[in-house]
Amino acid sequence: MSNNQPTPTLQRDGLAVKKEKLYGYLLAGCGVLTLLVTLGIILSLSGQTLIFFSEVSFVSYITGTDWSPLIGAADYGVLPLISGTLIITFVSALIALPVGLAAAIYLSEYASPKARSILKPGLEILAGVPTVIYGYFALVYLTPLLDGPLPLSVPVVPAGIPVLPEFTLVIPSLQTFNVLSASVVVGIMIIPMVSSISEDAISAVPDTLRNAAYGLGSTKFDVSTKVVVPAATSGIVSSYVLALSRAIGETMAVTIAAGMSPRMPYFPDILRNLADSSQTITAAMVQIAGAESRSGAVFESMFALGMTLFVITLVMNLLAELVRRRFREEYS
Amino acid sequence: MAVDMDDTLEGGRSLRWRRFKGQLFEGLLAGSTLIGLAALGALFVYISLDALGLTAAAPSWYLLYFATLVLPVSAYTLYIRRRPAVAAVNARAFAVVFGTLVLSLLVYAVPAALGPHDVLLFLLFGTLPPLAVVGHAKTYGESHLTGPAIPVSVILGIGAGFLLYSVLAPVFTTLIDWVAYLFIVTLPIALAVGVLADRRWGRRAALGTAGAVVAAALAGLGGALALGQNPSLWVVLGSGFVAPVVFVYVDTLRNAESGRIGLLGPVVLVGGIVLGATLESLLGITGLESWLTPTLLLESWSSVQAEQAGVYPQIIGSIMIVGLMGLLSFPVGIGAAIYLEEYAPSTGWRGRLATALDVNISNLAGVPSVVYGLLGLALFRQVFGLQPGILLAAAATLGLLSLPIVIVAAQEALRSVPDAYRQGSYGMGASRWQTLKNVVLPEAVPGILTGTILALGRAIGETAPLVMIGVATTRFSPPDGLFSGATALPLQIFAAAGNAKPEYRTGVVAAAAIVLLVLMLIMNATAILIRNRYEINSTKAE
Repeated sequence: MSNNQPTPTLQRDGLAVKKEKLYGYLLAGCGVLTLLVTLGIILSLSGQTLIFFSEVSFVSYITGTDWSPLIGAADYGVLPLISGTLIITFVSALIALPVGLAAAIYLSEYASPKARSILKPGLEILAGVPTVIYGYFALVYLTPLLDGPLPLSVPVVPAGIPVLPEFTLVIPSLQTFNVLSASVVVGIMIIPMVSSISEDAISAVPDTLRNAAYGLGSTKFDVSTKVVVPAATSGIVSSYVLALSRAIGETMAVTIAAGMSPRMPYFPDILRNLADSSQTITAAMVQIAGAESRSGAVFESMFALGMTLFVITLVMNLLAELVRRRFREEYS
Repeated sequence: MAVDMDDTLEGGRSLRWRRFKGQLFEGLLAGSTLIGLAALGALFVYISLDALGLTAAAPSWYLLYFATLVLPVSAYTLYIRRRPAVAAVNARAFAVVFGTLVLSLLVYAVPAALGPHDVLLFLLFGTLPPLAVVGHAKTYGESHLTGPAIPVSVILGIGAGFLLYSVLAPVFTTLIDWVAYLFIVTLPIALAVGVLADRRWGRRAALGTAGAVVAAALAGLGGALALGQNPSLWVVLGSGFVAPVVFVYVDTLRNAESGRIGLLGPVVLVGGIVLGATLESLLGITGLESWLTPTLLLESWSSVQAEQAGVYPQIIGSIMIVGLMGLLSFPVGIGAAIYLEEYAPSTGWRGRLATALDVNISNLAGVPSVVYGLLGLALFRQVFGLQPGILLAAAATLGLLSLPIVIVAAQEALRSVPDAYRQGSYGMGASRWQTLKNVVLPEAVPGILTGTILALGRAIGETAPLVMIGVATTRFSPPDGLFSGATALPLQIFAAAGNAKPEYRTGVVAAAAIVLLVLMLIMNATAILIRNRYEINSTKAE
């Protein structure tokens, strides 16, 4: 470490020493500024949030099933927004978590250096595409594409079996704004996050472990699935949590593609949740920010939503950090 | 045979099954990796099909451009692939032609929006004091105060500029625009190349190259005035584009030992397009129905007629936001990274502070961008009482957002500098700051640059924080000052994405999306180029 270097200050005059110290303090000031950013976020969110809860009761916010701050008698129930966010996060996770892990294993264990040199910048660009363009793509191109074969009727229990009642699963046709296309693009955009962090964890597994497994007669498949991936579990799980937190905080793609109609999830016909429009926490914030009149409780509700989002993502990020530290296998 | 032996070794079927399983697994992994890239490809193909109107073109159009553009470029690429000297010259030619063209257009457009006189005023106040400090140090010898005096003099100078602005602005406004451009573009370029040439070849060459830059600017000016073109633009193009391109071409032709043929790269590409376009109009072939037109790039938005809608204010606004963001957040971010890597001890209360900072930075990186928007809103509207959506607020909000990215990238770059370098510097009696300034930072610059450019590329697409702080979607002119209302390209895409009219939905918006993607790709490509070059150099050094 460079920190342990003794600084030879033996024969420097006072001004030089003072200058050195001044630069040290200035740089430390830059570091402390990042703490101030966190503090600023917490203060600005909590201040307005407290004002909001002096006007709207906390219980009705956290248990309310109706979110309509801009129409008539305003209702501030956050549950529809939370359920909208969770559904999109869940569906995008179904895409991103397996695909991202597979990409990480492939890049770290199987890919030739040449393939890596093409695939990795490609994934970096995938991560760099602005989310507003993902949203536009989902709305204008992906929805018609996914809607092509719909509506579908899938007979789960074939007709003609006398014992059971006939049961057909109906996949409804997609609305213009729908959860499915938004979830797909969110899933695609968090693939690079899963793959890059997981790949770091997988490449950190020492080669001696692999060689030992090969020495025992394992195939490459066995080594990858039974030795390398288990040894990198902590990193992989933390990449999963970070990616989920990113999906929860994702804003523009879901605002554009999933629409602006907050609603509680449909229960028996689950698939309608994907086909219909919905609204996430982030999209609700954008809607209020873009509204004509935003004063009083409406304005403050934006901060309450921000606080909700901040707490959820903070807990998830801390969880990821904890998993990485607690369950990390130390190899030395 | 080996296979038979294996089979006899271990009951054939299970071994074959295992091999099949392994291959299946590998195929599955490769397929998954390609899913992301396939999605990226689909996004680009779908959007550019609509933006460029590729489906409207006749088959003969494709044939024409295949002959004039695709065929020559592919042949040329195949030719240079196995010849590193040619490829190096080719890369240099491409970098100088397109790099200086893009930079020149920027250097023209941003002062044009801000007012070239104001830019000149603040440039004078910002550069003359530090030059005076350096001149003083050159004549009377450097002291301990010289180093710190330079940034302080810049800040004081710009402050004085603000104070004297109302007095001096009327005087500066009497200048003709192109005179201002001569000062703010041509003169600095001439000085910079003069200093470089002085170091490499001596005094006479320095005067020659600096004179050539000025001459190129004046030639551009003369030509533009004679032909009735925009004189300011041609002053900038003369000194910022023509002069460096001519220099690189002449220098390579005279001094390069091999690979001169690489200079043809840009000629093949641009020539192919020009030839194709000429033949297209001569033969009357049905071409593209492109929405990526000069109107889109040079006009302001129209919500009535798609043919007249443009995103010029949004493009310039985005570039200004991102540029100002870089000025605000990079010094702080790199400073914090230097503190954490080079200064912070690992023990005691300051060690604990450093650990806390590290955890805090990784948490900040995970805070959703909308929340930063709320921070910007609270800070600039509630605390400072400023108008919502001004350029300064937009840039500062994005600056806070990209701070953790910049810090992490700079930390990695600093960490990759070998400790032996520091030890060597300390061993020669250098202090910590001297070691940092003369040894560590020069080594870390390419890495820091890569990370910061990637941060810029990320920031140019950020939309949510700008919506939250109330940045206007549509403005009819770019922002003209720090406190003027900002606008940004992704905001316009957001606002128009839901437009149901097909000429907007799959026309203008698609073209605007392509412009945004190209801006992002230019930045990413620059960062990747710097990284590759740096990696090649560092492996050579080892």
